[in-house]
Amino acid sequence: MQRRTLVMLAFITMFCLTIYSGAYASSLSKAEIVHFWVAVPAGNVTEPKTLRGAGPPINMAPIIIDLDTRGLPKNLLNPNVEAISTHWIYNLDKRPYKLGLDLINTHFPVEWEVRSEWPYDPTTHTFTKPLPPGQRIPGLSIDWIFKIPAYYMDEQVIYDGGLLIFDADSGQPLTFIPIKIVRGGIIPSQGGLGSCH
Amino acid sequence: MSLERKKQTLFKNKYRYLSWILGFLIFVGPFSLLTRLVYMVIGNISLPDLHTICLRMPLDWVFSGRVYNLLGSPIMTSFTIIVLITTLLVGPMFCGWLCPVGAVSEALSRLAPIPKKFRLHIQDPNITRNLRFGFLTGFILVSILVGLGYAYVGSICCRYCTSSVLQNIVNGLFGNSLAFEYWHTGSILTLIFWLLVGGIFTFGGRGWCILFCPLGAVSGLIHAIGAKIGFYRTVKNEEDCKNCGSCSDICPMWAIGSDNSIERTLCINCKECINRCPSRAFSMIWGRRKKSDYVDNEAS
Repeated sequence: MQRRTLVMLAFITMFCLTIYSGAYASSLSKAEIVHFWVAVPAGNVTEPKTLRGAGPPINMAPIIIDLDTRGLPKNLLNPNVEAISTHWIYNLDKRPYKLGLDLINTHFPVEWEVRSEWPYDPTTHTFTKPLPPGQRIPGLSIDWIFKIPAYYMDEQVIYDGGLLIFDADSGQPLTFIPIKIVRGGIIPSQGGLGSCH
Repeated sequence: MSLERKKQTLFKNKYRYLSWILGFLIFVGPFSLLTRLVYMVIGNISLPDLHTICLRMPLDWVFSGRVYNLLGSPIMTSFTIIVLITTLLVGPMFCGWLCPVGAVSEALSRLAPIPKKFRLHIQDPNITRNLRFGFLTGFILVSILVGLGYAYVGSICCRYCTSSVLQNIVNGLFGNSLAFEYWHTGSILTLIFWLLVGGIFTFGGRGWCILFCPLGAVSGLIHAIGAKIGFYRTVKNEEDCKNCGSCSDICPMWAIGSDNSIERTLCINCKECINRCPSRAFSMIWGRRKKSDYVDNEAS
């Protein structure tokens, strides 16, 4: 093979491989460490909605994770642990809120990994400083890591709950995002950017 | 490589290897000394780690049109700009001397007792260069498509993130067992291609840097421009060269071809060739082209 052809082939091969990696990343982002946006107050997010008022438009939807659509390496090597993540919590109201978070209806261990440039109390899962209107929690990264016991892995619906964001001062619910972890047969989440910011 | 040769290499490149440790300490958590210092100055209360100064995301934002993110993450943006400016002036020395991701895979490759014949090594820098820029072109196109909201393509910047994988490993080694518990497909593939294939089973241990790092590819382009202008670069004096092949035999970036020319877009000014060459044919220069600069692969 001529050297020039080989060089061109190298470029094209790597280009195609990279585009394929992007397509693969898109399919993975709907089932593995799904990233989602949060706005408060948004009420009960029973269907996809777009809210505006601070920063870019905020797309929210119920989160449905189908474990069967995860990648082969994940299903082979680390099947019993799944995670969801957010970097974006915005206050779209006209008043500040001290935000509390709660994961509803968990019946197996869920670890919270929270990093933030906003004061946070890990024992109560509360941001202790009120978030002003029109602002987002800066430098936020929350991962919820679901450690699914082996005996749940054959269930069709493994988890059916959601994330509740409430006003920590009054206890008033502000936003509820339903979250389901299932095995097959249900249309997966439309969320998930697969990107950190 | 004989033990004696390994000792010589270790001694002659000691500043580079010490610099790797420095890079680890100033960027990787729980140390993150430099980022911690910056956070202290600006009054940021969170604990920084390697991900705090991700140098790939700003590139992804620029290519995907999400430039507003640059303003929202001033530390990442500043670090990236500083790295790119220093690359123009002194070459990709961040890649060769400070980047913990490249340092870990190269160190692992040097430590692993795998015979050379079992390691991937492309000895034609033109092919390597085209692989590298095939990736960069794909990376840019994927970013553009993500920015346009094309649903069938996802960001490869964060899904296959070496910084997160390295930081997770370090967190795990420092007692955070949770860091070892969750692996997604992207992180598993990244671990395999960064440390196993690109590290241990690649000659020089920088397979990931050469083929899959967008910052490395952009730095290579900037260095090629900087070298043409006359900024700091590695050159070879043809008159002193004995064609022994020691230089191409040590270059971790596969930047030196069989004709001993230096492919500028791959070179990271690591000085391994300078310290290895028995006839001292390699040197670093600053300024406009000299006679000794003729062996550069100017086609780049």
